[in-house]
Amino acid sequence: MADKDSSNTGARGLSGLIAALRRPSVHYSLASLLLIGFVSGIIFWGGFNTALEVTNTEQFCISCHEMRDNVYPEYQETVHYSNRTGVRATCPDCHVPKEWGYKMVRKIQASRELWGKMVGSIDTPEKFEAKRLTLARSEWKRMKNSDSRECRNCHSFDSMDTGKQKKRASVQHEMAIEDNMTCIDCHKGIAHHLPEDMTDEDWD
Amino acid sequence: MMKKMMMTGVASAVFALATGTAMAAAPADWSKIEATDVDLLYPGVSPVEWIMRGPSHGGARVLKRGETCMGCHSEEIGDMGQLIASGGKIEPTPIPGKAAFINAKVQAAHDGENLYLRFTWKQPEASGAPKMDEANPVKLAYMLEEGGKVELAEQGGCWGSCHGDVRTMPDGDQSKTKYVKDGSLAEGVFYDLNQWRSGENKVYDGYVADKRVMEGGEALVGAEGKLEDGTWTVVFTRKLAGGEGDVTLKPGNTYNFGFAIHDDNAEGRFHHVSLGYSLGIDADADINAKKQ
Repeated sequence: MADKDSSNTGARGLSGLIAALRRPSVHYSLASLLLIGFVSGIIFWGGFNTALEVTNTEQFCISCHEMRDNVYPEYQETVHYSNRTGVRATCPDCHVPKEWGYKMVRKIQASRELWGKMVGSIDTPEKFEAKRLTLARSEWKRMKNSDSRECRNCHSFDSMDTGKQKKRASVQHEMAIEDNMTCIDCHKGIAHHLPEDMTDEDWD
Repeated sequence: MMKKMMMTGVASAVFALATGTAMAAAPADWSKIEATDVDLLYPGVSPVEWIMRGPSHGGARVLKRGETCMGCHSEEIGDMGQLIASGGKIEPTPIPGKAAFINAKVQAAHDGENLYLRFTWKQPEASGAPKMDEANPVKLAYMLEEGGKVELAEQGGCWGSCHGDVRTMPDGDQSKTKYVKDGSLAEGVFYDLNQWRSGENKVYDGYVADKRVMEGGEALVGAEGKLEDGTWTVVFTRKLAGGEGDVTLKPGNTYNFGFAIHDDNAEGRFHHVSLGYSLGIDADADINAKKQ
């Protein structure tokens, strides 16, 4: 009986809250309500966006030892980390889309990584190596499907002068333009080690 | 009068003989023959299986579309040799002091009977490593191929004969020699191989088909080599036509060509290799053998 009463009280509480939210205000002016809503919206949105951007930094990425100890040191050996021009592409520049819609989709997908973190699916170098090909294939597929969108935030064939490149690069880029290829078709492993068990099909 | 005619006849015969001898001889003045600069790199472990796979060699894609090795690498052969010889890439057992690359000059001429090939290069500093081939400080071998029937012959010179499963390769069978894909003398799928060895002062005339055969060819007449003031000069004399395992050279045609120098008493894969070139017999090519 007591349980029944309690349940009734809870139902009454929820319907009471809904009723209160639906009831027109008799104490506050419309302008006050709009102002409060507007300011609250800015604070909420700003907070959300700030939190989102915190997850979009290299420091956040390498705050997990899985990234810090495996892929990060490899990346530090590459031209995307250190080069003569002083321009650096950090983890999110390549792995998180810039546009909001694509970014949110990617962030939602990335929430799976929290589960991986919790169960420790790549928490040792051995486990990471065992899963490197799976992880790499997933990222290659994402980049291929987006026509290497994140690469193209900085690079494009339109602004590329193949005449100023080494022969090796110019030959390959001219072929890539002719064949409508995308960056990731050739540049797998540009910032991280290639998986040792990568197959010819992964390349072609 | 009769005596005078006889004298003229003898003189003519002597002249003809002398002229004939002169015709079948290497150019007297090689400085008048055009020289082609060829860089030979230390190749490490870069067999066909390595260069044709995208994950190992980024150029595999363009190579499969017909691009030549020179098409991409002609300006960086020395840098590639440096990277490999230092152990930076595809060399599991780097030899300290090993020359990264050798710059050679190649000259060619013919007289309708023989082809003359002259190679000159500055002797690199010795590495000081144990001698692999005690008898021969230097060996020079070139390969010829006709028609591009050998996979990679047209694109990469000798590279079509380099495989990961042969002797001196890290995972190779020490009893297995060079070979080419679908190699067959009968089908014309082979490289003609000529080699000169400095210590033995000997030449070998063979071929590479399903395996490497070092003797039996009939085209190679001989080779002479010498080291003077730190520069090697090796001149090969080869008949235009030979027998089995010999490519028959005809005026107006071009042939695929590559060569290797075993410097520093090297053996097997520890040599310096050229990329692919074309040799023309009175035909426009990377290396032109004009009739003298």
